[in-house]
Amino acid sequence: MTLQGRVVRKRVSIGSKSEHEALVLVTSEGEEYQLRRQGGNAFRDPELDGLEGKSIECEGIVRSGQIIMTRWGVLE
Amino acid sequence: MATNKVIVTNLSALQLKYSAGLPRIRDAIKRSIAADKKRGLTTLLVAIDSAADMRAAKGVPVAAVSDQRQVKAALDAVWTTYAPDYLMILGAPDVIPMQTLRNPARGDGDENVPSDLPYACAAPYGTDPAAFLGPTRVVGRLPDLIGGSNPAYLVSLLGTAARYKMRTRADYQGYLGLSAEVWEASTALSLSKVFGASNALQTTPPRGPNWSAAQLAFRAHFINCHGADASPEYYGQPASGKEQYPVAHQAARLKSKVSNGTVIAAECCYGAQLYDPADSAGQAGICSTYLADGAYGFFGSTTIAYGPSEGNGQADLICQFFLNSVLDGASLGRAALEARHRFAALYTHLDPTDLKTLAQFYLLGDPSIQPVSGVPHALSRSKAFKSTFKGAKSTLGARAFRRERLARTGANLEQSLGAVRPVHDRAPSHVTRVLNAAAKESRIKELARQSYAVAFPESAVRGDLKQFAALRRGRSVHLLLGEKFAHDKVKRVVALVATVQDGTIVHMRRVHSR
Repeated sequence: MTLQGRVVRKRVSIGSKSEHEALVLVTSEGEEYQLRRQGGNAFRDPELDGLEGKSIECEGIVRSGQIIMTRWGVLE
Repeated sequence: MATNKVIVTNLSALQLKYSAGLPRIRDAIKRSIAADKKRGLTTLLVAIDSAADMRAAKGVPVAAVSDQRQVKAALDAVWTTYAPDYLMILGAPDVIPMQTLRNPARGDGDENVPSDLPYACAAPYGTDPAAFLGPTRVVGRLPDLIGGSNPAYLVSLLGTAARYKMRTRADYQGYLGLSAEVWEASTALSLSKVFGASNALQTTPPRGPNWSAAQLAFRAHFINCHGADASPEYYGQPASGKEQYPVAHQAARLKSKVSNGTVIAAECCYGAQLYDPADSAGQAGICSTYLADGAYGFFGSTTIAYGPSEGNGQADLICQFFLNSVLDGASLGRAALEARHRFAALYTHLDPTDLKTLAQFYLLGDPSIQPVSGVPHALSRSKAFKSTFKGAKSTLGARAFRRERLARTGANLEQSLGAVRPVHDRAPSHVTRVLNAAAKESRIKELARQSYAVAFPESAVRGDLKQFAALRRGRSVHLLLGEKFAHDKVKRVVALVATVQDGTIVHMRRVHSR
C-alpha cells in the first residue's frame, strides 16, 4: 500500500507498558499511521528520525494503525 | 470411555494452507493421540468443519473459517458434549480464529483485543470482554504459522508435545529473567515471588540481546520488556525513562539455544502475538520461535499490555500466577486457567486495564503438558494405594476433582465479579473538579477522559454479598489520561482514576505509564 502525508512525532500506546513517542504519518484525510521500517527498531528507529516534519510518500504493509515501510521518499 | 482431551481444528483451512503437506500433519496428530494414550489420556480429534464430527458433537459444522460466531458455537458444542479435561486448539488464527473483543481501554492504540478467553468460558459468542469473566475450561492453542505452507513447523510442535517429558521443580528453578531497565524493581519483585530470588535478573540496557547459550538454556523464562505489533524483537529502556529502546531479545537469536521443555511468561505488549512472518521480512515472532525450538508453552499477550510504574499489577501478576502454577505441578492449560482465576479474584470489579489484561493473556502450547511433576503424598508409596491405583502416583479422580474446582471457581467469578462498561455520560461536576485539581497538582496536561459504569451480575447479592449490593449501586469509574513533564524533560503519561459510589468519590489512584 502507498501512503502520502506529513510526519509528526507523538505519543502512542498511551498509559500502557509500552507507551512511547513515535513518528506518525498524518494523511491529508487526517488518518494517522505509526511509521516503522521493516527490519528496524519498532520503538525508536534512528534511520527515520530525519523524516520528522517532512511530507513523504511511503510504501509498505499497513496493519492495525501502522505502516511497516519497505520504501519511502521525501516529497518536494 | 471418557474423552480426556479434544483437539479442535479446521481441516479445510489446513488443507488450503498445506495441500499435499496435510497428510504429514494428520500423521503427526495421530502420533500425538497415541502418545497421549500411553500417558493415560483418551484424545479425540474434532474437525469443526466436518459434518460428521460436528454431528457427533451435537453442533453445527463451521462453513467459513473466519466466522467467529460459528467457531465459538462449535467449540461450545464440543465442550458440552465431550466435557474434556483439556481443549487444544490446533492452528493459528487463520485456522481457528481468535475471538475479537472490544478493547476496554480504548484510545491506547488497539482497535480491539483478539482473544482465546471466550473459548475458556461457557458464555455464548459476544464481543464484550465483560461477558467473559468466569473461565471454566482448560484451553491452549498449539499454533502453526499464519500464512504458512510448509507443514514442518506444525509437525515439529506436535512432535515436541507428543514426546514431552515431565521434569522436577529443580529443573525449572533456574531462570532467565529479562527486564527493561526502567522496570527493574518491578521485575525483581516478580522474580522473587515466583523463584524466591531475583539475583539472576538481566536488564536492557546495558545487556542484551546476545544472551549466552547458558542463559537461554534455563527452562523458565520471565520477560518484562517492551514489545510491538508484528515485531520479532522485544525492547529495553533505560532507568531514566528516556526515549531509548535498545533491542533486548530477538527471535533470530533463539534458534538451537532453547532447551526442550522451556516455559515462558512474557509481560510484553504483543508478546504472544501470532502474525504473518511476511509482515516482518519473513521472521516469525519470538513466541513462535520459542515453540519451534522446543519450548513447551508460552504465556503472553496478544495486544498492548499494562503494569504499574512501581510494585506489581496487571501483566506482572497474571504472568507470576501462571509460572507459580506450572512450578507447583499444574498442566500448562490448568496453569493458564488458574492464572486467570487468581488475577480476576483479586478485585471487586475489573477496571478497563484489568479487564483488558484478563482478555489478552493466553496460552500457546499443548494444555495437557505437565512440565513439572507434582510431589506425591507419602500414601502413594503404600501397598494399598499401589494396589488400588495400579502403580499410579496420582489418581484420575484427582484431576476430575481439580476440574470441578476450576469450574466452581470460574462459575463463582461469573456470578459475582463486576466489570466496567464505557458510557457516554460525563463525570459529575465535583468529580471533574477533583480530577482537574489532581491533574494540576500533578502537573498533568490532559489528553483524554472516559467514564465507565460498573456492572455486577444479578447473582452477586447472595449470602453476605447482599450487604454490598447497596454500596455497588451507582458505582462508576472516571479516568483522566494526561501528560506529565518530569524534571528531566521526559514526558510521561499519567492516568488518574476516580471510583465514585452514590455520588461520593470513594477511591482514587494515580497510575504512571511504564
